[in-house]
Amino acid sequence: MISVQRRSGSSLGWNITCYSAAMICAFLTSAALLTFSGGDPVKAFSALLTGAFGSQNALYGSLAKATPLLLVGLGTVIAFRAKIWNIGQEGQVFAGAMAAYWMSLWVAPLPYWLAWLLIAIAGLVGGGVLGLLAGYLKVRFGTSEVISTVMLNYIVIYILAYLLDGGPWMESGLTVAYHQSSPVNPLLEWPILLGQGSGKMHIGFILALAAAAFCAVLLERTSLGYEIRAFGSNPTALRFRGTNIRRLLLVVMLLSGALAGLAGAGELFGTSHRLRAETLLGIGSSGIVVAMVGGLRPSGVMLAALFFGALKSGAIYMRLKSGTPAGLVSAMEGLVLLFFLCAAVATKLQLVRVEEKVHA
Amino acid sequence: MLELLQGPLLISILAGMVRIATPLLFSAMGELVTQRAGIWNISVEGTMLLGAVVAYVVASTTGSPWLALLAAVLACALISLIMSFVTIVLKAEQFVAGLALNLLASGLTLFWFQTYVIGREPPKFAGFDQVDVPLLSDIPFLGPILFSQRLLTYFAFLLPVAVWFFLYRTKYGLEIRCVGENPKALDVKGLSVGWRQCLAIMFGSLMSGFGGAFLMLGYSDRFVPDLIAGRGWLVVVAIIAGNWMPFRVVGAIFIFALLEAVAIHAQVVGVSIPHHFFLILPYVASLVLLAGLRSRTHQPEALGVPYSRE
Repeated sequence: MISVQRRSGSSLGWNITCYSAAMICAFLTSAALLTFSGGDPVKAFSALLTGAFGSQNALYGSLAKATPLLLVGLGTVIAFRAKIWNIGQEGQVFAGAMAAYWMSLWVAPLPYWLAWLLIAIAGLVGGGVLGLLAGYLKVRFGTSEVISTVMLNYIVIYILAYLLDGGPWMESGLTVAYHQSSPVNPLLEWPILLGQGSGKMHIGFILALAAAAFCAVLLERTSLGYEIRAFGSNPTALRFRGTNIRRLLLVVMLLSGALAGLAGAGELFGTSHRLRAETLLGIGSSGIVVAMVGGLRPSGVMLAALFFGALKSGAIYMRLKSGTPAGLVSAMEGLVLLFFLCAAVATKLQLVRVEEKVHA
Repeated sequence: MLELLQGPLLISILAGMVRIATPLLFSAMGELVTQRAGIWNISVEGTMLLGAVVAYVVASTTGSPWLALLAAVLACALISLIMSFVTIVLKAEQFVAGLALNLLASGLTLFWFQTYVIGREPPKFAGFDQVDVPLLSDIPFLGPILFSQRLLTYFAFLLPVAVWFFLYRTKYGLEIRCVGENPKALDVKGLSVGWRQCLAIMFGSLMSGFGGAFLMLGYSDRFVPDLIAGRGWLVVVAIIAGNWMPFRVVGAIFIFALLEAVAIHAQVVGVSIPHHFFLILPYVASLVLLAGLRSRTHQPEALGVPYSRE
């Protein structure tokens, strides 16, 4: 007889088996979905791969798409490791982009490096303040951050809609609203490091890598990181230790929001160059998936961000080549997350052969 | 603002409020039972979306809104098995499971929308018709507000009473509440905690199916991917602000519904304030409500805690 038991330690081989199985299940389900809707999975997935890795430029495109996901994912890791469920990344990305755009309207006369720095800081502050607001509501009124962050998402998205549709940031010289701002001052665009055409990788990628290193050090090597991890696993013990829980909560929400805000600023000044809701939509939720699939570790998040960045980048080519809608990637995100959630439980279990006792 | 308070307009706003409250009532009463059973299920938004999609597909292919409703409810009941499996069998973090379901629902919807809806002639589909209750709908003022609604609305308004009766006056309701407060007590008596939670999740999910289907068939005239627009989250807010008590939850829902009705009418009447600010109102109100109504005395003790014997 075979029974399922709790595993005492963790085994690398078994972990890899579980997560690979989850990935295969997610791909098989997506393939089934495609077949069911009249598509050709082989054609679609090979186009997806070509679009993601087929050429040097495609590779840069994937890295560019991975950049905001990595930043948002890292912000999510900081919050989720403390079991503080910040799911307001979507709004924080928007707030970061909006703050950076606002800043760009003022800083053009300044030296380039200073203007650039101020814009990046505005992005951090914009996202951070929105995160902090949810943190404050939690500390002051006990409002669940799950709810407040989601509500703030809707509020920020509507505010941006107002600003771009009849509000002060509407594209100038137009009578009909295109729901977008005028292009940002070309002098303030973030420098492109590699690639050309559709595959441009801007300097935000370096910032995101630096942020990953920062998060790894923060979580593993600092007392704040220790408190974050301890708050996630045993908040009562931390309270008895005399840690200021309120301060911890606010700091975590600030950092988490700030990283998402930087992602928004980078998308605006590195990629789209116009403030527009559609270019920012979905980065927040993809970033959450990236964080969870990356096992809430900075190194894992880097891998996951590359993976989902490649999917997003390849999806554009896939749509052109095989007519498969890019929404497939959104569905895949949900599937991968769900199967990974199951796999995470499976890694803690093992199958044991139990000898049946014969009762005489 | 004053023009909003004239007679016919006021009637129109209040009738709109009743209609907007309908899907919220369905979802909230379902979710209330789920949460009273100790399951912190935040997938209301995604489940409502799924219900709306299924309702749209079936209504536009068969032409029958009732068949569409049935299909939506069944689909949502089925999808609840995923939530049950992940939270009860695997005992994974309930918040994360709900989040995954929400993301899955919106991802699948986007894929379906881009494959079948976008860029095509929108199919004709019949929604629910208005049902005037004889005599009652002729009452001045109250008649058009309360008694010229869709049939499902009348059911939605009876639902809180039914859920209250179930939770507080029946043996099964007591068991459900016990699962949420002290599952061990039930387990010790030899009654299954898991099955009751599974049924509570399923009930919540199928009620969200009603909610999503009504939103599609009784409220909206076309499908858009953000049809639900946070209503599933407002339902969760209403339950917390209503301190997990059926009639207080209903009270919170009416606040949200009234604000949305005002927003729609402000747009029609042409108030000089940008209409985006009216659209924000329910979400701002939700934060104010949660900050103001902080009593959590009826929050189930074991809410969100996976039950295991060890």
